[in-house]
Amino acid sequence: MASISTRRLHKELSEIRTEGCPCGITLLNADNYETWFFSIEVLGESLYQGEVFKLMFRFDASYPISSPAVQFVVDQNSQAPVHPHVYSNGHICASILGTEWSPVLSVSAVCVTLQSMLASCKVKERPVDNDRYVRTAPDNPKKTRFQYDDDTV
Amino acid sequence: MKVHIKHWNAVAQWRWNTGNNDQDDEGDVCGICRVPYEGCCPSCKMPGDDCPLIWGECSHIFHMHCLLKWLGTTASKQQCPMDRRPWVTAERKVADIPNNLS
Amino acid sequence: MASSAVRAQVAAKWQESFARLNRTEPGIAGLMGFSEAWSLATTFLKPYDLNNPTPKPQYDMRQVGMAFDTINKCRRLPVMMEVFLEDLRKSQHLIAREVEVHMNLYESDSDPETVRRLIFRLVEWYNAWKPTAELGQTIISAYTLAFQTHLFSILPASFARGVKTLVAATLERTISQPSDQHDRALWQAFDALSLIERYETLIASVGYEYIEAHVLEECIGKWAEPMLASLRSWMIDKIVPWMLWPFARGASNADEAKTMMQGVGSRFDFHMHKTLCDLRTREIFDIIVDFPDSIGALQDLKECLQRVDQRAELVQSIRRSNKKRLLHPGADTKDILLSYVSTIKCLRIVDPPGVLLFKVADPIRRYLRDRPDTIRCIVASLVGDGESGDSLIDDNEPIQPLQQPEMENYADPDWTPEPIDAGPDFRANKTSDIISTIVSIYDSKDLFIKELQVLLAQRLLAIKDGNLDRERRNIEILKIRFGEPALQVCEVMLRDMTDSRRIDQHVQSQKASIVHPTIISRHFWPALETSGIVMPGQFKALQEQYAQDFSVFKPDKVLRWLPHLGRVHLELELEDRTVEADVPPLEAAFIELFSEKNTWTVDELISRVGSVSRSAALKALATWVDRRVLKEDSENLFRLLSVAEEPTPGAKNPAPKPAVGEDELPPVMSVQQQQAEQMKVYWKFIEGMLTNLGSLGLDRIQAMLKFAPGYDRTIEQLGGFMEAAKREGLVTVKDGMWKLGK
Repeated sequence: MASISTRRLHKELSEIRTEGCPCGITLLNADNYETWFFSIEVLGESLYQGEVFKLMFRFDASYPISSPAVQFVVDQNSQAPVHPHVYSNGHICASILGTEWSPVLSVSAVCVTLQSMLASCKVKERPVDNDRYVRTAPDNPKKTRFQYDDDTV
Repeated sequence: MKVHIKHWNAVAQWRWNTGNNDQDDEGDVCGICRVPYEGCCPSCKMPGDDCPLIWGECSHIFHMHCLLKWLGTTASKQQCPMDRRPWVTAERKVADIPNNLS
Repeated sequence: MASSAVRAQVAAKWQESFARLNRTEPGIAGLMGFSEAWSLATTFLKPYDLNNPTPKPQYDMRQVGMAFDTINKCRRLPVMMEVFLEDLRKSQHLIAREVEVHMNLYESDSDPETVRRLIFRLVEWYNAWKPTAELGQTIISAYTLAFQTHLFSILPASFARGVKTLVAATLERTISQPSDQHDRALWQAFDALSLIERYETLIASVGYEYIEAHVLEECIGKWAEPMLASLRSWMIDKIVPWMLWPFARGASNADEAKTMMQGVGSRFDFHMHKTLCDLRTREIFDIIVDFPDSIGALQDLKECLQRVDQRAELVQSIRRSNKKRLLHPGADTKDILLSYVSTIKCLRIVDPPGVLLFKVADPIRRYLRDRPDTIRCIVASLVGDGESGDSLIDDNEPIQPLQQPEMENYADPDWTPEPIDAGPDFRANKTSDIISTIVSIYDSKDLFIKELQVLLAQRLLAIKDGNLDRERRNIEILKIRFGEPALQVCEVMLRDMTDSRRIDQHVQSQKASIVHPTIISRHFWPALETSGIVMPGQFKALQEQYAQDFSVFKPDKVLRWLPHLGRVHLELELEDRTVEADVPPLEAAFIELFSEKNTWTVDELISRVGSVSRSAALKALATWVDRRVLKEDSENLFRLLSVAEEPTPGAKNPAPKPAVGEDELPPVMSVQQQQAEQMKVYWKFIEGMLTNLGSLGLDRIQAMLKFAPGYDRTIEQLGGFMEAAKREGLVTVKDGMWKLGK
């Protein structure tokens, strides 16, 4: 039988296919129900004008009860945005991806939240502990216990 | 003329009484699994009494199985997924049913 | 000097010739003797006119022998031969005249006996002129060659016809009287004149034609039993004895005859098989239609095809007749399917690897795929809904899960390479059962499940006695075929049926009601045509009461009525009569309104029951007019006949008759209708396109719609939709270009 995540993701995907993604978000790849890729950019005025980032979602079988693992893709073609909550390895410190996750959230909702996180950024800088974190960071950002010192995201 | 009805094989749909009386609604969905209330949650095969809804004091409604799965995780902190207030299951009284005329 | 040398040479030559002719005889006695011998021999050999009334003089054969001996000793035989052949050439006009006379006669009377007489006469000539055996084989061979060369040069074309007729007659005679020796002389004459070699093809063709006629006579339209065995023994008993005449002449024993006949015998055998193969190939369409009563013919065909390579012709024949007789708009989808199933079964007999089937099936499958009601037909057959006795399902075939096309397993010890005429896209279909093969016409089985749901919904809602056993059994069988998850929706439908009865029993036990609803789970039943009708009067009261009672029993649920579905049994109490009727809800709603007042216009009625189409309303009213409960007094004005009235004689029936045979099944939207419904979403896109671009071809519209989110229709489906839009006047089409209608 199809797992819970498969059914839910199937619904989300057909919704994306029929109604499209929110503005500035494009589905790049959703060939399976384990890993999806999106491109994300901030529309309108922001510090990230003209920059396009790539987001990776990883789902486990109990999604949406458990949150997806979401991070920016860092490779030869794309970089993580320079942002106080985004580490240079792409990991994101955002409460909705951790303790504030709710199963009523969706992939689109996460994208929009991250988009507004970027849009509202005042200073382009890395988190203070970036170097230390990146050195020891696990592959999966969900394994990290972030301290959400900023409850706006 | 008098019309005597002897027998009427009628057809009806059942709906959960969610207080939403809109006749032509497409049907609300459970926020967790995104399946309509009158469908069944991903772990069930039969809709209806086998896969009931659960009402919160906060007025939010989910498939019971979906909500219990969520509340079973520590991450839930026993909060309603919609408003993150502590989940309290509502006591449903027959008297609350708007259609009840008795 | 020179002249004396020449003289000496001449003298030597002369001396030599003289010595040769005179031999060692004294004086010129030898020369004299040679002269006599020469004269006797050449006169003896000279071709003699058989028509000469004076008989050929008698010769002393001892003297003739001595004369030849003398000539031989003088080494003059070659010269004598030349003289003889020259004489022969000069006498040939004698034969030519006779041939001409006989053949003129034959050409006018066509009597083969004339030809027979000529042949015997020619043998006479031949024998009469034949040099004696003691002159040696060389001279006789030279004679025979010269005689025949000349003879064949003067025989007219009609002679061959005569020979053929004679040969055919010998065949007839041998077959009817095998021991008859009447034709021995004729065959010997043929042989003597070398006519058998010359007309070998012609003689064989007599045999071929006879075999063809026999095979056709015995086998046309007779398909039940295999015919090859009896044809083979017929060949051995009847044709072979005759073949001995031309093809085993001179054989001294049976073994020798057998060796001589080997080549020609296998050609005759081949011809018999080919004739049958051609016949069955021509008949194949009807053989398939007749299956399983045509198994014999199919077995024969299988054997023939191993002997005669006509597989391509067979495929062509089936494809051609299918195109002409089966794959056209006039044929029922059900019949096409049945024929396809028959084709599968037949070709499995003829060609077990399935190459022929693959080639033949392709056009049928493509045609079926484009027919809108194919799936419905298959599904109806799957659930045993065949109106006719024929079912696609073979009761002998076990019910099994649908087969997926398998990859070839080369490790299988039984693996065999594909037959050489298998195309590159050939897929061996050995293991598939019929249903899997048919279902595989479509890429996905989802369509079947959808159609199945529609069909099941119609049938469940039509059940009156509450007996679900048949449907339950069907679903169980289909679960085996399609897998349990695919049938989950149908399970819910069945459970709704049983739940409805349980709930009804409970509700009735609390407070009896004449309403007995089927309560269905939305999302699990196919889209039911929506209808906004509102049941008036006591119907509305009954609905409300029941809904209330239901909610008491199931406090967290409410009922939403689908008032247009179901049936009402009612009794009308009129002044002079009571009328009982079992009618759809709309009819019931209308008649209920007539209990309020006696006359209504159609528009009034429609406005009281909410939205209902005019044609549906008229159809419902027609039911009561037919039952003489209502009368249409004037256009669109109906009156209750409280007291029965005889219909005015000669008055035309004012209300439109309901369409004959309109099904009484619940109005569940077919998959097609559902698709059309969904297609409406895309109308906005199409309208926009045509507004901006004027007119567009179908493929252009299809290409542009691909950009619309979620669009997944085929161009055929789009075509159907555009046709529908045209009927509604939304668009027009000219030369394949679509435009918005004015």
